[in-house]
Amino acid sequence: MRTLLNRFITGLGLLTLLGYGGTSTVSAAEVYMPIVMPITGFLSVEGASQRNGAVMAIEDAPEGVKIRYEIFDTGTSATGAATALERALNSGNAVAVPSTVFGTEMVAMAPIAQEYKVPLLTISGLTKLTHSGNPYIFRSLPNDGEIKVAQVRYAIEELGKKKPALITDNTAYGQGGRGHMEEILAKMGVDIAYQEEIAFNQHDMSPLVDKIKRSGADVIFLHMVSHPMALIVKQARALGVDLPIVTSSSMVAPSATALVEPADLAGVCGETPSAPEAGGTPKIEEWANRYRKRFGVEPDGLALAQYDGVAMAIHLIGKNNVTTAEEMRAALDSGTYVGVAKTYKSDGNGDMAHDADVVCYDGTSRIPTVARHYSPDELILK
Amino acid sequence: MSFVQLLFNGFALGMAYALVALGFVLVLNAVNAVNFAQGDLVMAGGYLGVALAYVLPIPAILMLPVVLAAVAVIGLVLSWLAYFPIMRRPPAAVFISTIAFGVILQNGYQLVFGPEAHAVRPLFSSGVWEFGELIISKQATAIIATAAVLMAIQYHVMERTQFGRRLRATAQNRNMAAALGIPVRRMIAITFAAGAALAGAAGLMLGNQFFVHPIGGVNLIITAYIAAVIGGWGSLAGAVLGAMLIALFQVIVSAYVSYTAATAMLYLVVLLVLFFRPQGLLGQGEQRRV
Repeated sequence: MRTLLNRFITGLGLLTLLGYGGTSTVSAAEVYMPIVMPITGFLSVEGASQRNGAVMAIEDAPEGVKIRYEIFDTGTSATGAATALERALNSGNAVAVPSTVFGTEMVAMAPIAQEYKVPLLTISGLTKLTHSGNPYIFRSLPNDGEIKVAQVRYAIEELGKKKPALITDNTAYGQGGRGHMEEILAKMGVDIAYQEEIAFNQHDMSPLVDKIKRSGADVIFLHMVSHPMALIVKQARALGVDLPIVTSSSMVAPSATALVEPADLAGVCGETPSAPEAGGTPKIEEWANRYRKRFGVEPDGLALAQYDGVAMAIHLIGKNNVTTAEEMRAALDSGTYVGVAKTYKSDGNGDMAHDADVVCYDGTSRIPTVARHYSPDELILK
Repeated sequence: MSFVQLLFNGFALGMAYALVALGFVLVLNAVNAVNFAQGDLVMAGGYLGVALAYVLPIPAILMLPVVLAAVAVIGLVLSWLAYFPIMRRPPAAVFISTIAFGVILQNGYQLVFGPEAHAVRPLFSSGVWEFGELIISKQATAIIATAAVLMAIQYHVMERTQFGRRLRATAQNRNMAAALGIPVRRMIAITFAAGAALAGAAGLMLGNQFFVHPIGGVNLIITAYIAAVIGGWGSLAGAVLGAMLIALFQVIVSAYVSYTAATAMLYLVVLLVLFFRPQGLLGQGEQRRV
């Protein structure tokens, strides 16, 4: 009896190993694509948008291409992100990893991707990610060096403002963006009226708003993660400060605008890789409607950028029969993909998108309209 | 924005902090241990405001009675789960158990509401009143008024009613209170409920301007702790004073120097208080019989 039981258990164990253990056996049409993004913490707004975009792209995979995915939470720290990526890459033979929007976390993850030789598909704007010689980083929205041009040009040229206040947060994203905006403003011959870097978890913005008002600034630039931006918008309006505010893209996310009243958004504009919530081409509108139906929330440019990046990778899996990470890297490096929002092609550094929109709110709704589109040429300031 | 306006906003922030600190000290006095879930109870009030707004899109002031009652119930649960089973253990055990309760609350918020932040409706309305150059926030005014009423009620109950005397007696000497026939366990449970209710009210007030999110209470417990240290460990009036000083200090120094300087200087002040007046500004010094 005992011998029979032992044999049964051994047999069960062997079956288990064959079924689930060891290196996963991947058929030509089934690949592993772990999603490594901030699901919790102060980046949950941005993380939710990009996670939705990635999941939707995977669910939209064409027939014959099967993607196995798991979601790994990077939380809010670089060490958390590095750990999450290691766990993801040790859970199977990933061909690519849709990864965090947070620059600080991407900086920690990039060397791991290079070590494992697995491409990361990101929507982080931090420019140095694709300018540090790492061939495994691919970005499906304009880097900050480009998109900040849209933010600044809109305020200076379209709104006619001359005395900006520049407020950034103390993350790598905030610091990187600040450097770009200082350079762009200097090139445009504009002096900064007031400048401050704040902690991303700062919650009382009344002292900051007071300082901005006392500086005589006529427009407020915000470049930071969504939570402090929403706080600044809300508290500035609550304190009667109605200066135009031109923000970075995460303020345009629906879960960020949900934190403020539509009236608070009057005079608020934001740069974004695209604006699916505002409609646009039939392709964008169709995608936006499906997104709304799938997730029950308004779409945003971050979700669409992540969707297109992952969809490009999936397209290349089907088209080029990609089964390994190295094949994926080569395909992303050389391929062109006509996505929902735009056409993607790497510039050799891994930056695959080079145009942007500025959207504005009219104070009656949380849905913005496209105020200005900037072509790739217009995002290069000579 | 004028200095007066800045001061007014700082005062409003201080009043909300004072509710948190009052609740913190109430429990501290009753059980001689720190309730580290106090900040998470603030978030409970905020989240209740968010949830009620889905059902009834009314001003938050009308939600206040429900929030007070509901968070008070959470406070009772806290006392049953995190205090009474270990009440004969050292205070450090309560410290740990309330941290655990707080983590459970944080994860509960995330499970129900998701990880992203939410905003609570204004107490009455948003917007400002303009008096020439002076701009006064309606929400800040409402916070000051509402918090003042709650503090007045708390003071009246604690100082002018028999019930309040029983609560204070329990806090001062539990054994003697029991010997006099005061139901000590019930008084302690009610103290937890009252402390939680005050925290919940603060959450409803702060959640409009500062939003609520699962770990939003973490900084608030530190604020309450520092308020109690500055004002006087165990002093209710000291807790209010300490909270007001923290808010005004932070707002004014941040506005005229920087956020970093404000934080650094605040902790320097805490050290100075501990060094020169360890009993706090309104606390009573310890005496030893020679």
